Amino acid sequence: MKDREENNILKGIASQEYKEGFVTEIEQKYIPKGLDEDIIRTISSIRKEPGWLLDFRLDAFSKWKKMKMPRWAHLDLPDIDFQDIIYYAAPKKDSDRPKEIDPKLEETFEKLGIPLRERAALAGVVAVDAVFDSVSVGTTFRKTLEDKGIIFCSFSEAVRDHSDLVRKYLASVVPSGDNFFAALNSAVFGDGSFCYIPKGVKCPMELSSYFRINASGTGQFERTLIVADEGSSLSYMEGCTAPMRDERQLHAAVVEIIVEKDADVKYSTVQNWYPGDSEGRGGILNFVTKRGMCKGAGSHLSWTQVETGSAITWKYPSTILKGDNSSSEFYSVAVTNNYQQADTGTKMIHTGKNTKSRIISKGISAGHSQNSYRGLVMMNAGAEGARNYSQCDSLLIGSQCGAHTFPDIRSANRSAVVEHEATTSKISDEQLFYCNQRGIDPEDAVGLIVNGYAKEVLSKLPMEFAVEAHKLLQVSLEGSVG
Amino acid sequence: MEGNGRYVETPGGRYVDIPVKSGPDTLVVKAGTAFNRSYVINAGSSVSMPANHIIVEEGSLTDICIIIMPGVDADIPITVDLIGEGSDFSLSGIYICGSEERVSLETVVRHRVPGCKSNQHFNGIVSGTARTDFFGRIIVAPDAQKTEAYQVNRNILLSDKAKVNTKPQLEIYADDVKCSHGATIGRLDEEAQFYMRSRGIPLEEAKVLQMLSFISPVLNHIRNSAEREVVAKDIDEAIRKIL
Repeated sequence: MKDREENNILKGIASQEYKEGFVTEIEQKYIPKGLDEDIIRTISSIRKEPGWLLDFRLDAFSKWKKMKMPRWAHLDLPDIDFQDIIYYAAPKKDSDRPKEIDPKLEETFEKLGIPLRERAALAGVVAVDAVFDSVSVGTTFRKTLEDKGIIFCSFSEAVRDHSDLVRKYLASVVPSGDNFFAALNSAVFGDGSFCYIPKGVKCPMELSSYFRINASGTGQFERTLIVADEGSSLSYMEGCTAPMRDERQLHAAVVEIIVEKDADVKYSTVQNWYPGDSEGRGGILNFVTKRGMCKGAGSHLSWTQVETGSAITWKYPSTILKGDNSSSEFYSVAVTNNYQQADTGTKMIHTGKNTKSRIISKGISAGHSQNSYRGLVMMNAGAEGARNYSQCDSLLIGSQCGAHTFPDIRSANRSAVVEHEATTSKISDEQLFYCNQRGIDPEDAVGLIVNGYAKEVLSKLPMEFAVEAHKLLQVSLEGSVG
Repeated sequence: MEGNGRYVETPGGRYVDIPVKSGPDTLVVKAGTAFNRSYVINAGSSVSMPANHIIVEEGSLTDICIIIMPGVDADIPITVDLIGEGSDFSLSGIYICGSEERVSLETVVRHRVPGCKSNQHFNGIVSGTARTDFFGRIIVAPDAQKTEAYQVNRNILLSDKAKVNTKPQLEIYADDVKCSHGATIGRLDEEAQFYMRSRGIPLEEAKVLQMLSFISPVLNHIRNSAEREVVAKDIDEAIRKIL
């Protein structure tokens, strides 16, 4: 009886708490299901792309056909039928007002807390590029940014207006044949964001991409390209949500970041894809390739991620430290509950002299979930005086979940120093008792302890995100104690 | 994974219960007994590990120490199954490589029952064009509560042509556990050398002292003091040779 009751409560929470799980009823344009060269040509022609980009797609597709889905991760992967996915979906445009944003779309993003219109109250805070299924629906604060010479627009506009820049940098960090999902993305990618910060410019506001999956039976394959030229600085945020459905939807994105000499980029993600219900049905399959290159001397790239969503996460934001004295950081909190699975971590590849990296990863597993950290730290022969410090902590809540750590550390330079430590433990009864004794109920106490545990990472988030991340942590773990 | 020559199959998300099977290479530490041995592997000598599979029974105490001397190519896989509650298992090792050795150590420690303790401690000094791989896994089964499992792998890399790879892994399916692993690859601390030199200790000697002190925590696992002294002397000589 008690078990049943508990289950009901859990179910209730799981279904009610994902507040972004609604569907927008809007007329959409689809292309047929399946994947072959014709589909790729169709996508390319709908998006009015130049010939070189079509060639790039077709080349990636031929590479992808020869590849196999990676199975090495600590994940129970379902078989994905790649012919059963719609690779392009976009809201239909009314012919009588082609310029304006559909009010329904605007309403959708409003509901998600992403204003598509520039508001006085938020002025100068965040500029957003909102992507809905396969297209970008709007980019805000264009004018303000243009005045500084900053290019921030959707990927398709970038291809049209800044073709030379896109051509120069596209696939320079993640080659089209890099891995199975990067190749798939290179072949079929829809929209995404493009950002270029010119020499010496400090971006006056946070830039942000917001990805929304809406159509069913589709996948989202967005592509983000960020270039920070010499001495520039940028803080970039990414957010994402999807409706609640019983089917699993594929999300395979590629993010490339190029950081030139003395430039500074901070990339923050709050991943809030639909994680599936309490029985493990539905949810987003999140297979993402994110990689940055610290190309010039003294460049700096910082990754911060808060992962609460998606049924399966396969994601390793990485940095190649090529420029001398460049540095990179990776801060991550990954929370899994119910039947979620996450295999996430980072790669730090040191090739330049005196390069430094720091990895702080906090995993929290609850319910029946499996949460793995997988990381690579590589000191190449040229990495004189390079330094790395990694710390991976796992917190277990409940006896049915698993927490795993798979670091890989390689050094081929005697002056390089690498340190790694990992711990796994649970919230101790004493800690809970201490809180209970002071009138904090168990659920709040867990939230309190978890927030404290993740504080080191949360404090690195931009202010706008930190508040959301705090709330997300609380919601994700609701119903996990008792 | 690639470039490492070895591809590791992961069962994918869930705990896979591999049945305990004993074979001709299995060492069984019987319930309530103690097993304490050290193995010194010298170049040219025929001493090798007696077992690549160890079964640890209830309430037993095991302490095994492996010392790999310079000039030895070794590939040592050891799987440990803790099948009895309240057992205490320790596996430690030292490897010193000065020329073109290839040393590979692979340990799998499976905590199958609650209330066991395991400890692994491997320290290595690598120079010349040697290459060492350490691959250590700790697996804690879903019901193995109150497990304490620790693992440390520290390396000193003395040459730019040598390579050290280390892959410590934790796979934990129970919640009431204390587990940790740590891995480092680094160099000899120059400040400490300066400290010693300013007190009249020559640089070479200072380096030897640093390496000896780096090795000594593992040496303490050799319980028999006479044996420990012999090994310590051999290590002292070996370190002077590779410097």
